[in-house]
Amino acid sequence: MNHDLVKANLNLHAVLKNLEDITVFDREMKELISSWNVSIKFIVKGGPSAIARFSGGRCTVEPGAGGKASIILWFLSPAHLNRMFDGTANPVPLKGFTKLGFLSKEFPKLTDRLSYYLKPDDELIKNKSYLEMNTRLTLNTAAFAVPEILEGDPVGRKISSKIPDGTAVMRILPSFHSVSITFSNGAAIAQKGDTVKPTAVMEMKNAAVANGFLNGKTDAFTAIASGDVVIKGLIPVLDNMSLLLDRIQHYLS
Amino acid sequence: MKIYKYNATQKLFRRAAKVIPCGIYGHYSPAPLVPATDYPFFTSKAKGSRIWDIDGNEFIDYMCAYGPMVTGYGNPKVDAAAQKQAKMGNCVTGVPPVMVELAEYMTDLIPSADWAFFAKNGGDVTNYAVMIARAATERKKIIMVSGGYHGVSPWMQGEGHHGVMDDDKKNVLTVKWNDIAGFEKTVSDNRGEIACFISSPYHHPTFADNEFPAEGYWQKIEEICRREGILIITDDIRAGFRLHMGGSAEYFGYKSDLTCFCKAIANGYPISALTGTEALKSAASKVFYTGSYWFSAEPMAAALANLREMKKINAPKLMHDTGKKLLDGMVKIASTYGYDLKVSGAPSMPYLRITNDPSLILHQEWCGECTKRGAYFTSHHNWFISTAHNDKDIRRTWDIVDDAFKAIKKKYGDEY
Repeated sequence: MNHDLVKANLNLHAVLKNLEDITVFDREMKELISSWNVSIKFIVKGGPSAIARFSGGRCTVEPGAGGKASIILWFLSPAHLNRMFDGTANPVPLKGFTKLGFLSKEFPKLTDRLSYYLKPDDELIKNKSYLEMNTRLTLNTAAFAVPEILEGDPVGRKISSKIPDGTAVMRILPSFHSVSITFSNGAAIAQKGDTVKPTAVMEMKNAAVANGFLNGKTDAFTAIASGDVVIKGLIPVLDNMSLLLDRIQHYLS
Repeated sequence: MKIYKYNATQKLFRRAAKVIPCGIYGHYSPAPLVPATDYPFFTSKAKGSRIWDIDGNEFIDYMCAYGPMVTGYGNPKVDAAAQKQAKMGNCVTGVPPVMVELAEYMTDLIPSADWAFFAKNGGDVTNYAVMIARAATERKKIIMVSGGYHGVSPWMQGEGHHGVMDDDKKNVLTVKWNDIAGFEKTVSDNRGEIACFISSPYHHPTFADNEFPAEGYWQKIEEICRREGILIITDDIRAGFRLHMGGSAEYFGYKSDLTCFCKAIANGYPISALTGTEALKSAASKVFYTGSYWFSAEPMAAALANLREMKKINAPKLMHDTGKKLLDGMVKIASTYGYDLKVSGAPSMPYLRITNDPSLILHQEWCGECTKRGAYFTSHHNWFISTAHNDKDIRRTWDIVDDAFKAIKKKYGDEY
């Protein structure tokens, strides 16, 4: 799997997935989509596909080309999709010509907000609500990137057989946010939320600690040694997952 | 029972993290200590079977510096020999005569050894052994056991790990422990290309039960290796002299071509050794291999004194018996709380796991609770028993174990 394809998978399955949480936790975006009744399918030639559905004030983003959509956006290649995520290209609308106004005016408000939250700077991160959203989205992106890295990245493929089966949970305390990643036979499935009997756990003390830890701004070993981050259970699962997470930066800046 | 606190430890670690990668790196890293806040990171003094941390907490040490301590911290006989040598000279121009004396002693002690070579760490000699095997056979590939640990050179580390390139692992084949059929197939698939099989004498991975060789395993491996011209390298870094004074190959009844020793040689003085057969002496001579401190005399004098002492007191039996008594009692205490404490590996270097919770979280909490009460247990790595551990230590440990089980039972009730 080449670099562009892995990056496209990450963009569509890990980054875009964050629309779900932005439209829940950002009041303005929640209001924005409250009346939307639209579904947008992203189809990449030789690459991934996904569908974002907006209905009843709720957004869901799921992988796959199945199911009907009111708008279909087509991309010539994984690189084309990646350029769109970088803001340097536009998709080819295949269906939904009557909704071009929505695509050019309304939908970008949401995607611009996504970019805003995923590209922090030193000033923005001082704002508590911004930090919390960035942390939430970073954790989501990390979790949903793991299956893609495991399948497509050269390092991921090498270590896939070495990860013990089971579910790893990454939690931000106190009850702020959590994600679960289930490993089975060298593949992984990510989901938001906790699990009852995890085989490995990474608990971060609060959103600020998690933000520094997940973004590599604080020393991971110091965080663990001080108890700001607690790891427990089958540590080899977390060790290998850490190698996978380290690979994300090769694709997403 | 008093529960330890680690304020000074945490304070010093914060200083360490500013100037040392990871704060504390490698196998001493706090990361696998779960939870890290239940453990001391810095030791201010040690004596016999005990260590004291910088907060003044006293521990019965069941890690023994991860193996090197074998006859007790500050063993007077070993320290006296080392100090006597140090007064005469340690790292000097020219080789100290004690090196020859130590080599003679080890070749007498270890039946498979016709020569001995000295370095500093285990990884020095496992790497050297592989180079010798490649030089002797003119073959490039090596076989190791999946989950086996032979040091930190790139070829020894896992694929995908930081700093490890694809080429580093290109000629490293892996087999499962105790899998004769898998070994046969690997040999058959790579006939004429395999220089050596490097393995610990029994399987002692981290985070997993330790496994002894199945009946006839080593004998069958030996048969295949002799037939195919593959050399056997025994990585006896961890188990060496804790099972048998002649090396673990003697304990398990096979002949090793090259044997790597380190941890238990000198009771903490820095030295490792590779021993080998006469047939490989020429290849060993041709491989250029050395280090700045490999001729230091003090550790050699310590090694000589330590090995003599271990032989005199039959240290492997002593450590086995102490370990067995300790562990039998612990298993019994665990059962009174409804916990199944599984012991694997040799009693002198046991691996323990509470089987009630396969995620190991319960076991990790229990090890942490024991450590906070003064019995230093790690949850991911085999422990080590020394000849300095005594009945007083055992009785105190049983009390701690009991109190720690009480604490986790109170927390989890009948959940497990």
